[in-house]
Amino acid sequence: MAKRSVWSDNRFWQRSAAWVTGFASILLIWLTFDTSAQISMGTDADLQNGVTKRVPAPTVINYKITYEMDTTRGHEVPVIGEKEMFFGRDDWSEEEAAELLHLGKLGSQAKNCMNCHTLLGNGAYYAPDLTKAWLDPAWGPEGSLQSMTGKNTKEEAMAEFLQHPSQYPTHARMMPDLGITADEAQGLVAFLKHMSSIDTNGFPRNFGKIKGAVHGK
Amino acid sequence: MFEPFVDVVPSFFGWLNQGPLTLTIFLHTVIILPMFWIYKQEKARIEREG
Repeated sequence: MAKRSVWSDNRFWQRSAAWVTGFASILLIWLTFDTSAQISMGTDADLQNGVTKRVPAPTVINYKITYEMDTTRGHEVPVIGEKEMFFGRDDWSEEEAAELLHLGKLGSQAKNCMNCHTLLGNGAYYAPDLTKAWLDPAWGPEGSLQSMTGKNTKEEAMAEFLQHPSQYPTHARMMPDLGITADEAQGLVAFLKHMSSIDTNGFPRNFGKIKGAVHGK
Repeated sequence: MFEPFVDVVPSFFGWLNQGPLTLTIFLHTVIILPMFWIYKQEKARIEREG
């Protein structure tokens, strides 16, 4: 009788497959819980105590957000700075901020922003990526988009544009008027500001190349 | 070859995802090495039965 080989033996492959499948299942369950911890939202206390969270609390809208190159990590990271006025206030409470963000999130879903834009990697590239839109210098004090709307602050300029997008030539493919109300626009701007403060490991990659996007460059 | 761990929230999976090398070493440790062990056991069993 020919010598039996382990390689052609069913039991060896069965046991190997059982090991790999079982181990992978455990790893995936662990990964699920590990991810939940990583993406859980921070609290207002974290912001006040300078605790860095990947997703900061909604009250981050009370703070100035800048985009800085992190040489150790090799990409830009959002940095939460001192207090800053947001629609004339810098004392949005946890409840108010959460409510505003919720309105913005529902608005973004109702108006289907992702049909054209990209938010946190989800959506389309027919219109500009909105993940870091708040940090775009074009909406800043000397930016062309802010001066175009005739408003004095970034949030008011963005809210004005969202309410009457078809009046302003911003992009080769102009945004249609979606009937966004003043309240919804405020919520959407809060939603965008909060989104820009999320540490996305440098995504979108090309954002830092916009002139002025990364602090002082 | 080995970069310092710089993730925001340190975790095992963050370390694992630093690059292809850490992933390769990890997968070989948990998949290939136990297969050597299974191979040896099966070989011994076949010799015993044969």
